[in-house]
Formats: sequence, structure tokens, C-alpha cells
Amino acid sequence: MSQSENWVQQLPQNIIIGLEQGSVYSLIALGYTLVYGVLQLINFAHSEVFMAGGFGSYLVVNGIVGHRHMTGVMVPLTVLCGVLSGALTGAAIAWLLEKVAYKTLRRSGAPKLAFLISAIGASLFLSNLAGKLFNRLPNNAFPTYFDINHQLFKIGNAKVTLIEVIIVGSAVVMMIFLDRLVNRTKLGRGIRAVAEDAPTAALMGIDIDKTISRTFVIGGALAGAAGFMFGTAFGVSNLMGFTPGVKAFAAAVLGGIGNIRGAMIGGLILGQAEVLIAALPFVGAQWNDVISFVVLVLILLVRPTGILGERLGRAA
Amino acid sequence: MNTATRATLRRLAACLLGGFVLALMVGRQEGSLNDFGISFHQAVVGPRIFVFLLIGLVIFVMVTFWPRVVPYLTRPGVAPLGAGLLAVLAAQTVMNWYDPLVSSTGNGKFSGVRTAANASPNLSSVSVAFFGWLAWTLVIAALVACAAAIVTRVRVFGYVTAAIGIVGAVLAYVAHSAVVDLDGGIDHSLGVYADIVGFLLLACAGITAVHARAEVADTRGFLRKVMGYRPGLPIAALGVILGLLAFSTAGWFGALQINDTLAQAHSDFDGTGISSLALNYLGWLGWTLFGAAAVLSLAATYLRNRMLAWVSLILSVVGVVLTFLTLRSMTDIGAQVAPQFGGTWKNLGAGGFLACIVFSLFAAATAMVISSTSAGVRRNVRAKAPTDELPVTSMVKGFRRSSNAMPLLIIGGALALFYPPTLTLTWQNVLVGQIGVFVLLAVGLNVVVGWAGLLDLGYIAFYEIGSYTTAYLVGALPVKPPSWLQMSPLVSIPFAILACLIAGVLLGAPTLRLRGDYLAIVTLGFGEIIQILAVNNPGGFTGGPQGPTVPHPRIHLGGINITWGQDNLPYWYLLLIMLIVVIVLFYRLEGSRLGRAWAAIREDEVAAQASGVNTTRVKLLAFAIGASTSALAGSFFATQVGYFDPSLFTLQASILIVAYVVFGGMGSLQGAIAGAAVLTWLPQFLKAQVPQDDRQMWIGALVLAMMIFRPAGLLPAKRRKAELEGLDAAASSETAAVPRAGAM
Repeated sequence: MSQSENWVQQLPQNIIIGLEQGSVYSLIALGYTLVYGVLQLINFAHSEVFMAGGFGSYLVVNGIVGHRHMTGVMVPLTVLCGVLSGALTGAAIAWLLEKVAYKTLRRSGAPKLAFLISAIGASLFLSNLAGKLFNRLPNNAFPTYFDINHQLFKIGNAKVTLIEVIIVGSAVVMMIFLDRLVNRTKLGRGIRAVAEDAPTAALMGIDIDKTISRTFVIGGALAGAAGFMFGTAFGVSNLMGFTPGVKAFAAAVLGGIGNIRGAMIGGLILGQAEVLIAALPFVGAQWNDVISFVVLVLILLVRPTGILGERLGRAA
Repeated sequence: MNTATRATLRRLAACLLGGFVLALMVGRQEGSLNDFGISFHQAVVGPRIFVFLLIGLVIFVMVTFWPRVVPYLTRPGVAPLGAGLLAVLAAQTVMNWYDPLVSSTGNGKFSGVRTAANASPNLSSVSVAFFGWLAWTLVIAALVACAAAIVTRVRVFGYVTAAIGIVGAVLAYVAHSAVVDLDGGIDHSLGVYADIVGFLLLACAGITAVHARAEVADTRGFLRKVMGYRPGLPIAALGVILGLLAFSTAGWFGALQINDTLAQAHSDFDGTGISSLALNYLGWLGWTLFGAAAVLSLAATYLRNRMLAWVSLILSVVGVVLTFLTLRSMTDIGAQVAPQFGGTWKNLGAGGFLACIVFSLFAAATAMVISSTSAGVRRNVRAKAPTDELPVTSMVKGFRRSSNAMPLLIIGGALALFYPPTLTLTWQNVLVGQIGVFVLLAVGLNVVVGWAGLLDLGYIAFYEIGSYTTAYLVGALPVKPPSWLQMSPLVSIPFAILACLIAGVLLGAPTLRLRGDYLAIVTLGFGEIIQILAVNNPGGFTGGPQGPTVPHPRIHLGGINITWGQDNLPYWYLLLIMLIVVIVLFYRLEGSRLGRAWAAIREDEVAAQASGVNTTRVKLLAFAIGASTSALAGSFFATQVGYFDPSLFTLQASILIVAYVVFGGMGSLQGAIAGAAVLTWLPQFLKAQVPQDDRQMWIGALVLAMMIFRPAGLLPAKRRKAELEGLDAAASSETAAVPRAGAM
């Protein structure tokens, strides 16, 4: 009895942790969903873009800050620098990835699964190249240039730390930015048009190749920024992309793959579900990965195309 | 800047970037915690980066000027030149030249032998020179001369090329045997033979380049002509050449770590109480059998005489059996006399097994004669029958009818039976534990992914269920089965298959209504769930991360007692039987009603449903059949390794099996086999070529390159190939009608 009371007591704290995890999942899931929207393909190398963002921002932040300790106004500046460098690295890697592993295959009219395998090849290559260049340790702690666990304020008895605010805050900013981008700009209209019906979009004067390339860049930038945040909170490694990548993929499917708002919601739900269910007294943290997939399967059984349904064009 | 310049600049940028990435790939290992990016700096800063950029530049120049070279590519002599160069390059860079060096200095390759040759004063100067500088000089000289011959068609150049090629081949043989004579030891290496073949091909290229007339200029047509002249004759001739090698120079027995040729083995075994049959075989019977089979099969193939062919076939089979009995009694004696060097079937050289392959080649050649003479009769009858069959069915039947199938199968069978015993222990282990098992898995997954078009990313779960079912039934898990259910590993296979069938249906029934990518993520989740279940060990069923210890299989049936132990070879034959059964079944399945239904739902599910295909049932069957193959593999694996743990059954493994299937050529049985074999062999092969930790990176790069340059896979399915080429043909006929952008 006391255990379930415990669960209720920890609920606010766990919701905050779930929000933190869910934000990272959402940011990665957006990349999957964007690419799926325009190409109807799962980009299996997306988790490596996330990883590249982590390493890129690590190198840049470490190069600028070194081992100094940041306080006050320098903290948001450092974070901004990290987010930007992560996003840049992620965008660059995603752009290259599209050029090498996707565009060439698209030109030769390859079967759909060939894209999957070329992406898997690229993923193997990237993660092991990173392992070769940096190291193959499972966890490289980020330089502690500010106190990430600094307690900012309390909601009830739940503590809110600095890193949680940073992650959730920047995720929200980026999601709003993306939503505007897709719904209000010319590029966004292009992306939606290609997702809706690529041949017709081409007839309407949209350069499909460029649109697809830019979609990859946008998704890559989001994943790269998420890589920085994940790295700050949990450390970077050459295999850091795998598990969050799979979870984010599940989140994208959960929300309805190809659907931008679906990916955001899917990521948040998955993050919450994992933390809250694993905290149940009879479950435990070792079932973390099982939970996300059971939730996914259950929801797919009820709604076979995800919570919000597919189609980037229609629902976003 | 016009389009062409921009395209050229873009290509230049891509090539330079490629050079840059290559510099990273062969750079130093890992940074340190103090300087995280140190290996990055060292890889790209300093003069070495210019070398790699130069490589990129060379590739750029080659790609850019490729159209200038293309007109010469159809000239006679180019194909053998390419093949010869490839063989020589492979031989002198990646293949092993002298096995004993592999263990002592770690490098038995061409460069390793060079170092060793320089260090040994007793070696003749020709051999030292060959390993030092002569070999590569010869290759370059032959290349230059042959290119000159191809371009100018001046006869002298062709003769020069031929002379260089022959000199190279002879020198390679002489230098290699000098090294082997000097240091002794058992030599399994194939580098020198590939080198000889390569040099001879270069010689052929020179001659072809200057002498070819129109009728033989087309290499493929020429080959067809040679092979079709007398069916089986080339195979019989190959058998004669290999046989001469096997009976004169190849090693037969290697106790005391010395390779005995046939004659030496005869004098060694004389008076050791070896069976008279084996002694006679070593003395005169082997040569006589070989000679008789060679003459008979050559005569049979040349004269196309069925009678002679049958006699030769029977003689060849007798030859295989007698060779086997001889080998057996040799190792029996060897085990008695020198037990410290191992027991039965140990220490045999390549010679005996090569002899078996030779006899099988003769059998294949004569079988070709038999089938070609009888197929002619049958084809006349068949031609009158109405052909309203579907393309696939007639294709399958066509393969069965064609006279090439039988000899190919016999040669393949001979290799599968007699090649593995000559491998080193490590490679036998790889063959059984990696290549064989994963071929079985890939063949099973090919049904689901390739034929039915359902992307299954959790396939390894069925493998796991199969392994654990066997472990449970033999009583290796913490939870014991009731005593009446406890059984030996081989008997548990049907139950493992049953368990996987049930699991497949349980997973499939609710999820198969999901479309493509949703199915992928659900199967992925299923795989993860099963693995975590095994690790987390609810109810103490699986034994957790430690995993179970499964006994090796045994058969006690009437008078037959077979026990499998630590040795890999018996498992290989067990696995071979499984593989053959599965492949034959699936081969029959592809053209069947069910196979066609799979193809239909893969191409268009709605149309298939409208045509009366029960899509749910057919998909479920695909899932169940794939799952049961996986169970077979899992069950075999569990009892072969003896000990396993759940960390083997990761999501990465599932994804890799999908990669094997697609890499080989989706939907083609040969493709799945080839893909799995190549991609499981590759890491072992790369072990000797690149740093251990970099293997995955190179494999990733290779898979990526393969998909870019050959998206249909290694051996594409005929149906898919037709689809792809059909599209290409349609596109090119359309674009051909429109002038190119630059021309306007």
C-alpha cells in the first residue's frame, strides 16, 4: 500500500522527468516524420545524425569553454552555442547523408528496401567512424561547464533542475519554430506539397530534389540540437544514437508517421509512459524498453495509423 | 557557369570529400580523454591529407575521362585483362601466400613473405627479387604492353604481354615453392595460385587483343561457344588439371607438421599396418583410378557417348568412396602412432579432398553428357505442349530442364562436402557458427521480406525462441520440463519449430493488418520485448543474462551411434543436410500457388485480394514459414555452441539479417544465400586486413557502396531484375527521343 502511495507522491517529479525525456524523443522523432512525409521512407541513419550533433557540439563547446565553469548570463550563451553547433553538425551530416545514401538511389529507381539498407550501411559507417575518431567508451561525460543539476524552483515537492528547463524550453521553442516553418513559409508549403503528392508538386514548379534535401537538413538540425541536449544531460558516445533513435522512431509511429504534430505528441506520450509505468511498484526500470513497445503496439491495435493519423500534408 | 562545368565542379568536390573521408577511415585509432579530437587532427593535418586528396583527384580524373576510354572497352582482350588484373591485385594484396608465416610473424601475405624473403640468405636471388620488386614491375609492364596492344593492335605488343604473363606465372610458382621448400610447414595458402591464374589471364589478354577476329571478340559468346562445343568437356579438363596437382604435388597427410605428397605418404605408411586398400590406393590405385576416370570422362564428353558416360560416372563415384576410405584409414593410423597431433580426420592435407573434388568434377562432366543427350529427346516432345504457364513457372522448369543445373549442383555439392575439411579450425568454426547459421536465417527471412514483402525487423526473436525451446526441452533451463517431455537436442527441433509457428501466428494475427512500416516497428518491438524478457528472467524461466548450457546432440538409433562433440566438421554436415532440405523446399515453394500469391500481395495487396487471394492467410503463412526456419537455425545453434546467452539476440542482429537478404538481392533464394554468406564471411576476412575495431565501419561503407552502385543486390531475383531493367529501358527510350539539355 505504501508503495503505491509512493508512486502518487513521486508523480509530479516523474512527470517532469518524463517531459524531459519526451522532449528529446520528440525532437528526434520530428526528423523521422519529416523524411517519412516527403519520401515515405524510414531514415535509419537518423540516430547517427543525432549522435553527430552530440559530438559536434561537444567539440565546439569544449573548444570555446574548455574546463572553465560558467555562471549567470554565460549559461544561456553556452547553451545557445551548443544548440547552434549541434544543429549545424546535424544539418551538415543529414545533408551529406541525403546526397550519398538517398539521392543516388532515388536516381537509379531502386526498390524501397534498398534505401533502408543503404541507410543501415551509412548508420554502421557513421557510428563506427565516430568510434574510431573519438573513442568507443559507452559514455563520455560532457565537460561540466555549468551545474546541470542546479535546482531552479519547486512545483509542490517536485524539483526542477536547470537541465530540465533547458531541454524542455529549447524543445518547445524549436517545435514552435518548426510548426511555423512548415505551415507559414514557402519552403514549408513545398514540403507539404511534396508529402501530399510529389509528381503533382513537381508539375506545380516545386524542385523536388531541393525540397527533399532541405527536409533532411531541417530534420538533421533538430536531431543535432537534441544530440547536444542529450549529451549535456547523459554524456556522448558513438552508440548514443541507437536507443533514443529506436524510441523516437516508435514515437513517430505512435503519433502517426509523417505527421509533425503527431511526432511531438508521440514523443511526449512515450516519455511519460516510460517514466510513469516504470515507476509502478510491480514493474521496475529494467522493463523500460518493453513498456514503450507495449504501449506502441496497444495504440496501433486501436488506431492502426497512429494517434493523429498520417500525412504531413493534411494534418499539419 | 553552364551546367556541364557545374557538374564537373560538383564531381570534383565529391571526389575530394571522398579522399578526405578515406583519410579519416585509415587514420589513427581513437582520441584520448585529454584531447578528444586528436585522431581527427592527426588524420587530416599534415602532409598525409594531400596523399588522400590526390587519391580523390585521381578518381575524379578517371571518372571524368571515362567516356574517352569507353570505346576501347568493347575491344577484344579487355575482359581477360580486367579479370587478370583483378586476380593479380587480389593475390598480391589481400590473399595469403604462405600459411606458416601467419602464425609466426602475423602476416603471410605477399608483403609479409617479402620481409621474410629478405631476411633469409639461402633463398635464390630470383625469388627475393620476385617478392621484392619484380612482381609489381611485371604487372605494370604487362598492363602497359596490353593496353598498347589493345589500342594499336600491333602484334609485337601482344606477344610481349603474353611473354611477361607467362614469365610472371612461372616466377610466382618458382618463388613460392622456393619459400615453402626453405621453411617447410603446412601451406594452405591460395595466393600463389590466384597470382598464376592472373598472370596467365594477362598473357591470354595480350594474345586475344592482337589475334581476335570478329567471331571470338565477344567474350561471353566465345565462352558460350567453348562451353557448348562439347558439354562437360571443359569441366573434365579442369578435373584433369586439378587431379594432376592433387596426385603429384598437393599434401595428403600432415602429421608431424610435414606435408606428405601421395608418394611420400605411401612410403610413410608402408608397414604401419594400414589397410591394404589404403596402401594400394596410395601406391598405384589412386593414380590408376584418376587416370581411368580422366580418360573415360574426356572420351565420354568428347564423343558424347552415353555408355562411356555411365561407366565414367560409376568410376568417379567409386573414386570418391575409395578416396574417403583411404583418408579415413590414414588418419586412424595417424591417431594411433602420434596421438599428440590429433585424432580421426585430423592433419589431412588438401590433397585427398582435392582428389574427391576432382572425381566429383568428372561425375559432373559425365552427368552433363547424360542429361544433354536425353534432354534433346525430351525437349522435342515438350515443344508441342501448349505453353500457357506463368513466366515464373516456366522459368523454374526451364532451370530444371537446362543441362547446366545438374553439373552445377554436383560441383557445388562436391565443394560443400570436400572443401570444409581442408579449412583451418578457425574457418571451420566461422563456416558453421556464422556463415551456415546465418544463411539458414537469411533464407527464412527471404520468405517474409523478399517474397511476401513484409518488413520484419524482429526476426531474431524467432531464432531466440527456437534456441530457448530447445534449451528448455533438453532440461538446460532453470525450469525443467516434465520428465516425459525431456528429450535430446535433435528430437526437440520439431517442437522448437512448433513453438515458433505458434509465436509467429500470435504475433502475426493481430498485426498483419498493419501496413508496411507500421508492421516494421511492431515486429521490431516484438524482437526487443522477447530479448528483454530473456534477460530480465521473469519467474526464473530463462536463467537471465547467463544463459543456458545445452548438451551436444547424439543419435542412438538401432545400430547407428553418432555423437557430436567439440569438433566443427560433423556439425557442418548436419547443417548441410538442413540447408539442403530447406533450400529445396523453398525452391519448390517459390513457383507454387503460395509463392505466386506472395508475389501478388507484395506487388499490390488490393489487386491480389480482388483476384481472390486470401491475404491474411497468405501473410500469416509467410510469417509462420519464416519463423519455423528461424527456429530450425536457433535449435541447431543452441546445441552446436553448447552455451549461449541473450545478448546475442539484439535488434542489430535482426537488422543485419534484413541487410543480408537485401544485399544479396531481395526475393531471390540464391541472393539471400550469397548475401548472408558474403556478409558473414567479410568480417572474418577483414580481420586480417584492417584493425579489428574498424571492421564494422568498412562493412558499413561496403554495404552503402553496394546499394549505391547495385541497388538490386548481388544476385537480383529474375522478376525484380526484369522490373528494374524494364523501367530503365522505358526511361532510356523516352530520354533518347529528347535532345540532351546541353545540346539545345
